Amino acid sequence: MNTQYKKGVVELCVLSLLHQRDCYGYEISDVLSKHIDIADGTVYPLLRKLKADGLLTTYLQEESGGPPRKYYKLTELGRETYQNDRAEYLRFAQSVRKLLEDESDDKE
Amino acid sequence: MTKNEFMIQLSGELHKRNVLDAADIIEEYEQHFAFKLADGYSEEEIAAKLGNPVALAIQFDEPDVKKQKSGSRPFVIAGLCGVDLFAGLFFILLAAWGLVMAMVSLASATLTVCLFGGLNLYNLIPTMPYWCGAILALSFAALTVLLAVGCVYFAAFLRQLVRSFGRFQHNVLAGASGKAMLPSLTISPQLSPAGKRRLRSAALVSLALFAACFVLSYFVCSVSAGSLEFWHTWGWFGYTGLN
Repeated sequence: MNTQYKKGVVELCVLSLLHQRDCYGYEISDVLSKHIDIADGTVYPLLRKLKADGLLTTYLQEESGGPPRKYYKLTELGRETYQNDRAEYLRFAQSVRKLLEDESDDKE
Repeated sequence: MTKNEFMIQLSGELHKRNVLDAADIIEEYEQHFAFKLADGYSEEEIAAKLGNPVALAIQFDEPDVKKQKSGSRPFVIAGLCGVDLFAGLFFILLAAWGLVMAMVSLASATLTVCLFGGLNLYNLIPTMPYWCGAILALSFAALTVLLAVGCVYFAAFLRQLVRSFGRFQHNVLAGASGKAMLPSLTISPQLSPAGKRRLRSAALVSLALFAACFVLSYFVCSVSAGSLEFWHTWGWFGYTGLN
């Protein structure tokens, strides 16, 4: 599948994960790679871009027996963006699906 | 590709592109390797799944990522210096108070030794019968302990205050340069539960002992001098109330 196209969707998935709870980088990459076929490494640039856009903030959490982990957290802007984008994506996906399924019906 | 090769290539590409906070990025990938290795993957598998380091470095180099709020940094540092000046004076004041408390404790200890040992250096201690002095000495011994406990607690408090202020500074600077912040620290002293219990019981016992012995010494002195205002009888302040 086209990487550029996938990137926008992955962005939405990251926001969705963080909407449920704060995560550290590896957690996000791990969950995503289980569901979507992307290179593991691409999540980190994405997180950084989302942070630069002001959708995420980071904080360090001291873990017992290890270096502090960097956690990502949705900002208020991130929350709003997620809700808008989610609704938009679901509408879009529904239309696309309808269109594609109608086509296969025609052929049968 | 091994982990080392991946890291060297990635950091080389990041530096070539002048990406900000390259160390921060490297750290994320280090952690990724650490987690995956713990799950039993080989370095080669992990590196292959991560993708091409050059392609990754390009993704970090996107123009919108580079925008960082670094313009406010000088102002933040200037403001922090002002705060430091004020807080520094405050810390000096607090430290001085701790020093005073320690000195009073030391003086009280000296007085205890002098009274018990019957030493009256330079006639600084007013005259009184030895047993009255001994009971008074006991009360001063208790006061010494009480103040020492106070010093220990105060030192722990001051230490934690300085640490939490340091953390606050770290976070302000991190915020100004867009780095991740550490959780802020509480200012209440960090003592172990057992240590806290011991300090508390030492303080309570010494306070009770101090109060009891002080009152008792008053009664013993009064009885021994045959007057409630025994200090007049013994001429403590250079005159006798009887004249």
